[in-house]
Amino acid sequence: MFQSVDEVINRLAGENYICNREVATVVYLAAAMRKPILVEGPAGVGKTELGKVLSTALKLELIRLQCYEGLDEAKALYEWEYAKQLLYTQILKDKIGEILKGAQSLQAAVDSISQQDDVFFSDRFLLARPLLRAILAPQPTVLLIDEVDKSDTEFEAFLLEVLSDFQVSVPELGTLKAKHLPLVVLTSNNSREMSDALKRRCLHLYLDFPDPKRELEIIRLKVPEADANLSAEVVQLLHRLRKLDLKKRPSISEALDWIKALTLLNIKNLDDRLVAETMSTLMKYEADIRKAQEELAEYLRVRKAKDQSGAAESDKDLLH
Amino acid sequence: MLERILEFSRMLRQNGVRVSVSENMDAVRALELLGIADRTLFKSALRASLVKRSIDVEPFNRLFDLYFLGQGQSPRATEQELMAELGLTPEQFEKMLEQIREFLRRMDGEVSPLTRALLAGELAQVERMMFEAAEGELGEMTQWARGTGFIDQIAARFMLASIREEIEKFKMALARAGAEPRIPWISEKISEYAEQRLRELMRLAQRLLQREMQKKEAAVPGRRRSDDLSQKSFAYYTEEDIRRMSEVVTRLARRFKNLLSLRRRRARRGRLAVSATFRKNLQYGGVPFRIQLERRRKEKPQVVVLCDISDSVLNASRFMLQFVYSIQDLYTKVRSFVFVSDIGEVTRLFEEHELRQAVEMALRGDVIDVYSHSNFGRAFELFHRNYISAVTGKTTFVIIGDGRNNYNRANEWVVREIRQKAKQLIWLNPESRLTWGYGDSEMPRYAQYCDLVEECRNIEQLYKVIDRIAA
Repeated sequence: MFQSVDEVINRLAGENYICNREVATVVYLAAAMRKPILVEGPAGVGKTELGKVLSTALKLELIRLQCYEGLDEAKALYEWEYAKQLLYTQILKDKIGEILKGAQSLQAAVDSISQQDDVFFSDRFLLARPLLRAILAPQPTVLLIDEVDKSDTEFEAFLLEVLSDFQVSVPELGTLKAKHLPLVVLTSNNSREMSDALKRRCLHLYLDFPDPKRELEIIRLKVPEADANLSAEVVQLLHRLRKLDLKKRPSISEALDWIKALTLLNIKNLDDRLVAETMSTLMKYEADIRKAQEELAEYLRVRKAKDQSGAAESDKDLLH
Repeated sequence: MLERILEFSRMLRQNGVRVSVSENMDAVRALELLGIADRTLFKSALRASLVKRSIDVEPFNRLFDLYFLGQGQSPRATEQELMAELGLTPEQFEKMLEQIREFLRRMDGEVSPLTRALLAGELAQVERMMFEAAEGELGEMTQWARGTGFIDQIAARFMLASIREEIEKFKMALARAGAEPRIPWISEKISEYAEQRLRELMRLAQRLLQREMQKKEAAVPGRRRSDDLSQKSFAYYTEEDIRRMSEVVTRLARRFKNLLSLRRRRARRGRLAVSATFRKNLQYGGVPFRIQLERRRKEKPQVVVLCDISDSVLNASRFMLQFVYSIQDLYTKVRSFVFVSDIGEVTRLFEEHELRQAVEMALRGDVIDVYSHSNFGRAFELFHRNYISAVTGKTTFVIIGDGRNNYNRANEWVVREIRQKAKQLIWLNPESRLTWGYGDSEMPRYAQYCDLVEECRNIEQLYKVIDRIAA
């Protein structure tokens, strides 16, 4: 799929996704070794996005399975379309009557109807859910299993079986084996520790907040209309904010929202009075907002002091 | 390379990182694909295939640096230092190196490869050679090399004496040949240069030895820190432990919630409700299109927590308060109280402040006087007088405390009454079970009214308790 690590970086960048070499290495290895990637990290650093972008970069179909408490095989793998089966038996009542006409005894009737049960347990009535769709797909796909930590341990165990050899057995149909191994991306917010067995089968990728340089790149890419100076300042501020003890640290997506808001309001500088007021797009908790505003004030104070001393020095330069 | 990977993963295991055979195989396959030339690629490939838990990342990084770094990373920096020290520009330096190399060629056979590489400034190669030399022999050496004569030992081991000799020889040969008269600074600089190089070699050897020793130390099977923490009694927590605790606590609380919600969900998914199914499907002519399941009443757990914050259980209550705080964060109906001799509600305090601050405030005495002697009986009586309405049939009541009453009146009738009103009553005691009932401990008296009394002295026990509560 990819020839080299650099190609991964370039092709993902082509889809507006900026990643560092470490991320690219894992992606490259996963594609080459046919191993699932387990992506962990704080909320809003682009874990899900990685899966989506991979599918567009590789021009493969994206099959997404969103996990939640109580997700079971029927929702993830396949289900018989019970209502449709019933509907058909009702519509075909006469036909069934015909088949049963010749039967002398109950035994004979059951025999002749059981010869027909293949009709009702065939692909026609099989409702393929994401996992089965990924297995049956005629082309390779990208399978995104989102927030796998939200699922129950039973489901995790089941997932393990599917991920290790990509085949499932449907009792009525036999074993179905994948024609192409999909590229699997699992994301986790670490709300519970995944089992060792699952982790063993995956390559592990920890996505963290990007460094300021990379974050600036991301902002330029996603919000090109933003003021360059402002973005640089925002990135610096974000970096400081993330070091604070917050309930929820500002994510990349929230940062992008904030920049967009600032740009819409035509703000060019963090000094603006409106900046503190728009912080609610960045922070989602009252206490966090308060802290962030304090940090903003502090940041501005330090910057001002620096500017002044810088100005004083340049004055000195002029004197000489 | 394979051996080094295996040795590295052995080291990881000894430091508590779980590495399986299949993960080792993955690492090797990954390296086959990527090669080992690029250090960052190399590291991320190993990390992706060997390290799967975020708490393992830090030991991995540490061990990786210890094990793989130090080779070939320094030459550039030292070269610049050297230039500065000799007071040469890069061009001059280059010229001098050329001279030296030229001369070394002429002296072919008289100097050993190590000296040759050293003088020619091929530090990476020097390091590799020394590394190879160290590999086999350092093992026994490290045990006795720590005492006096450390440097001498290294010198002897790496035959530095003979290298020094060879360098002297080189300098003499240089002097005889008279170098290049056209560039007068070269001959004097060269001997200085050789000295510097020799010192560098010394440093290198020292570093190598240290690294080798650290590696040995890292390989000593030490108990894992987080496991340590989970079995350590709260009473012995250090500052560092307390700082790390909060993350463990949040996870515990989440587990508590997960378990409860799991139970709720199972309950919601009832059995087939036959009569409801018939009724519903009458519209389809009695053919059961839509299946009806029995519905059960959703139950929102209510929790009331009483936490002893007297001096005797200070560390434990700090931990427990964090736990209580996290629970309150996750549930809507939690009321939290702290007591010593008075009792005070901290629900609001926990709602309005963030974790660390809230816990500090509670322990500092913002709510109640924390310097009095604990008096469970009085606190219970006060609770009964002021807050008993908080206890309903849905309440899970949790008392955290050691039950040491300072020989005051026990007032166990309050506990009995709470037991009658509440759904369940749980008592967690941060003291060892063996000491219950001795001295001023009133545990047996209180315990008779509790549904569950557990010793809860460390995280592991708390884990178990949570499992039992939720089961």
